[in-house]
Amino acid sequence: MRTKLAVLAAGFGLCSLVAPVVAHHGFDTEYDAKKKVSLAGVITKIEWTNPHMHVYIDVTDASGKVASWNLEMASPNTVLRQGWGRNSLLPGEKVVFEGYGGLVVETRGALARIAKADTPDKPLFIQGGPEAAPGFPAR
Amino acid sequence: MKKLLVISVTLVGLALTLCVPVHAQQQVRIIPAGNTPLVPAHLVNGPVPKLADGTVDLTGPWQGGGSNQDIEREGGLKPGELPLLPWAKALRDKRKERDEPYVACLPMSVPRMNPFPWKFAMSYTAKGLTHIYVLHELGDAGAHRVVYMDGRKHPDDFIPTWWGHSIGQLNGNTLVIDTVGYNDKFWFDSRGTPHTEQLHTIERWTRINYGTLVNDFTLDDPGAFSRPVQLKFTANLIRQDLELMEFICAENNQAGIAGGFQLNNEQR
Repeated sequence: MRTKLAVLAAGFGLCSLVAPVVAHHGFDTEYDAKKKVSLAGVITKIEWTNPHMHVYIDVTDASGKVASWNLEMASPNTVLRQGWGRNSLLPGEKVVFEGYGGLVVETRGALARIAKADTPDKPLFIQGGPEAAPGFPAR
Repeated sequence: MKKLLVISVTLVGLALTLCVPVHAQQQVRIIPAGNTPLVPAHLVNGPVPKLADGTVDLTGPWQGGGSNQDIEREGGLKPGELPLLPWAKALRDKRKERDEPYVACLPMSVPRMNPFPWKFAMSYTAKGLTHIYVLHELGDAGAHRVVYMDGRKHPDDFIPTWWGHSIGQLNGNTLVIDTVGYNDKFWFDSRGTPHTEQLHTIERWTRINYGTLVNDFTLDDPGAFSRPVQLKFTANLIRQDLELMEFICAENNQAGIAGGFQLNNEQR
């Protein structure tokens, strides 16, 4: 019983969040719906700042070349109100993520989904992509 | 196309609202977040709370109650019903979302509301309720919107400001706020609906039940509109254990980098 409770508590701590994508300025002004990526990498930095958190991830390709991604996320206020804490996501962690590349700077993207590499089907964060923007109650 | 998007969004939304227990050892709850968590639905229809002096408690905090993407649609009008003068309509259609001053962390002003919480903060002195401050978590850019409740009139002369000069009075459960003195720099919505310094707004905020606050909004701007227009917005009470949080918009605003544009000097 205690183990189950502990697991449940841990699971709750790793809750997945759904947020409207870049609600305060349009997705189309900065990101490209056609540039959807699905990658794996290591977190190098997390900025708990407004108006958007930024998660920096180094992605190494097959040839060994490293691309440094800067991914925009929801405001820290939004994720904190839904149960995230300072240790929910940390530099050094291996992650798998989905995002949309920038219109001009491709590695400056919008984060759509992120999960720890060893539990890829348990996302920590889910954000609607461009298909979620029209009609979404993102007032 | 739009219908397909709406259906897809609804399906995605429904799928994500369901708890997904994988099996007993690996339970993960998927919680739909999005905007600020609201009070549970079963509490919304409860009675309107009162302050110690018997007047309505309008504190909140609230989410919404104004425009955001499109004041015409969100205010309850059909497409084309907003009586914009031709120059204003042309300007709205020319404007780009990325150029909105709000994107540069400048004030959003009236009646714009983003998905972050806000509240009415009553300020009492020995003379009673003399000021009501409208506190936004985001979008007032460090200003404080003040509604003077002491019976004063608007000044005859003023420098236009982002939030204007507001005077208010309580009629039963309704707070009436009359505002003039706006500058023309903010946009009513991300679509770019403009106004002029002739803007005069009247907000009638009525708490109709525990969880709902209605904003009957009169927009009167002969410089940009052919006649005054009535709009209606609804704000929802947020979960009552939540507070407004710090939000320093200018601390790490990276708008423009991904899109290859720079915020212009007027916006900085």
